[in-house]
Amino acid sequence: MSEGDERRAGEHIRTTPAESHREREIDHVLEALDPDRERPHDVVLSKDLSLSFGENRILSGVNIEFRRGTITALIGPTGCGKSTFLRTLNRMNDKVSGFRYEGDVTLEGASIFGPDQNLLHLRRRVGMVFQRPNPFPMSIRDNVVAGVKAHQIAKGKQLDVVAEERLRQVGLWGHVKDRLNDSPFRLSGGQQQLLCLARALAVGPEVLLLDEPTSALDPISTELVESLLRKLTPALTLIIVTHNLGQARRASDHTMFLYGGKLVEHGPTAELFERPKEPSTEHYVTGRMG
Amino acid sequence: MSAAFPSSRRRRIANGAFRAATLLALLAVVGPVVWVIAGVVDRAVPHWRWSVLTTNTVGVSGGLENAILGTLVLLLGVLVIAGAVGVLGGVYLAELAGFNRRGKQRGGFLRAATEVLAGVPSIALGLVGYLALVVQFHWGFSLLAALVVLSVMVIPYITRGTETALRQVPTNYREGAEALGMSSGYGLRKVVLRSAMPGIVTSLLIALAISGGETAPLLYTANWFTGAPRAALFHQPIGYLTYPVWTFWDYPSNQAHYLAFDAALILLVIVLLLLVAARIIVNRSQRYAEARRN
Repeated sequence: MSEGDERRAGEHIRTTPAESHREREIDHVLEALDPDRERPHDVVLSKDLSLSFGENRILSGVNIEFRRGTITALIGPTGCGKSTFLRTLNRMNDKVSGFRYEGDVTLEGASIFGPDQNLLHLRRRVGMVFQRPNPFPMSIRDNVVAGVKAHQIAKGKQLDVVAEERLRQVGLWGHVKDRLNDSPFRLSGGQQQLLCLARALAVGPEVLLLDEPTSALDPISTELVESLLRKLTPALTLIIVTHNLGQARRASDHTMFLYGGKLVEHGPTAELFERPKEPSTEHYVTGRMG
Repeated sequence: MSAAFPSSRRRRIANGAFRAATLLALLAVVGPVVWVIAGVVDRAVPHWRWSVLTTNTVGVSGGLENAILGTLVLLLGVLVIAGAVGVLGGVYLAELAGFNRRGKQRGGFLRAATEVLAGVPSIALGLVGYLALVVQFHWGFSLLAALVVLSVMVIPYITRGTETALRQVPTNYREGAEALGMSSGYGLRKVVLRSAMPGIVTSLLIALAISGGETAPLLYTANWFTGAPRAALFHQPIGYLTYPVWTFWDYPSNQAHYLAFDAALILLVIVLLLLVAARIIVNRSQRYAEARRN
């Protein structure tokens, strides 16, 4: 059953007490079978997080949790701090001069800023895909396994297996299987972005951060990437920054709206788009404010 | 072009004058190169003997094998010493110096020092090398003294070239490497240096070409030797190709003059071979580059 069907079912069909009892039982069984049942529901949790560069406060008091296996879209006008927030989640802002944070972010219950947190290991668990495709200047195969080699996850012949598996996963294998040793820059922009996605997936992340991953791509490639993202759940938790409201609506389960350095509203995507609680959210999602 | 603008006499003259000026400037660059090569070839080839490559110098006649081998040894030594120091210096300035508290780039003093070094006349470096290394340290005329002086002379070029090349590496690559959880050293080696390679190789090439063509500092530190280079760092003078070019021309014998031009020709060929080698390395490293340089 797809997302949409589920929602409609909830809205229109009144269930009898017997049926709802049965549903509760099914839920109970499903929960007992869930391999992640012992782990916290919220993979990433931002607690009262404030971010600033020098005197410049970018975000203040963000409280939000990202549910395991869901896609969350971050929307908001340019300069509202979406990207800064996203890049904080795998600590890409650490080295930016003047960067300071207050509050905390936890990954599986442990602070990502904690002293026993290994930064390189954290970034393996929380991967990232950027706005512009950025394959490395090496062959297509070497691109896919670049992170795998860096973390010494596999070596020798195993690397070929990893490369094939990940290229298959993103649907590129058919296009590139005969030119694995070619330069990645001969691929189209969309294919390059899929390659970057394969590279990010190759190290086996739990969370994937996507910073406007399709804004440099044509509509067909965009659709490809979006349908791929859906397939990555529920194994992965995805957080995606997007300027494309249509994309947020199509591709995400939850949406958070940032505006003026604050988290204005967040909730299930359909609800946020159809029944926004805050006036500024409504202005933004209806296109009256860019 | 003429369709977009109304053609007037004034514009035609201005266009013509500009074209002529650019062409003239091009000739001013290419002309001397052709002239030098033609002059050297013209004077060296008619008297060319292949035995020049295989016999040692005797007085001001004989062959140049000792000088050719000496120059190659010097070039190899400079490549190792100056290459290592220069590239590491450039990596420091571009990647590791970081920023101070006011957000200004650190390493300004170091950068200024290398610029000053690049401006010191080579003969002054030679003199200092002679007084300090040859005399004060009792190294004597030696390979090591020559290598140190030559390296000091060309390190600024390599450092500057490396730093510039590294700064031109797109932020995309660094971020991509960082986001995959590569340590900064690993990312630098596997991703960043790879795309800076053409710039670094070019700067090494310039350094080698300069040191291959230097005479003044070598007169002070390597002196001259008519035998094959020996495996000794100290107290062992060494021959090199610029010596006959500089000295033998003054001798009143045709043999000496022929050798001077033979040496010049061989130097030219060595520099050309270096150019070709650098080209091949650059092309190989550019195989996967974003914008191929052709």
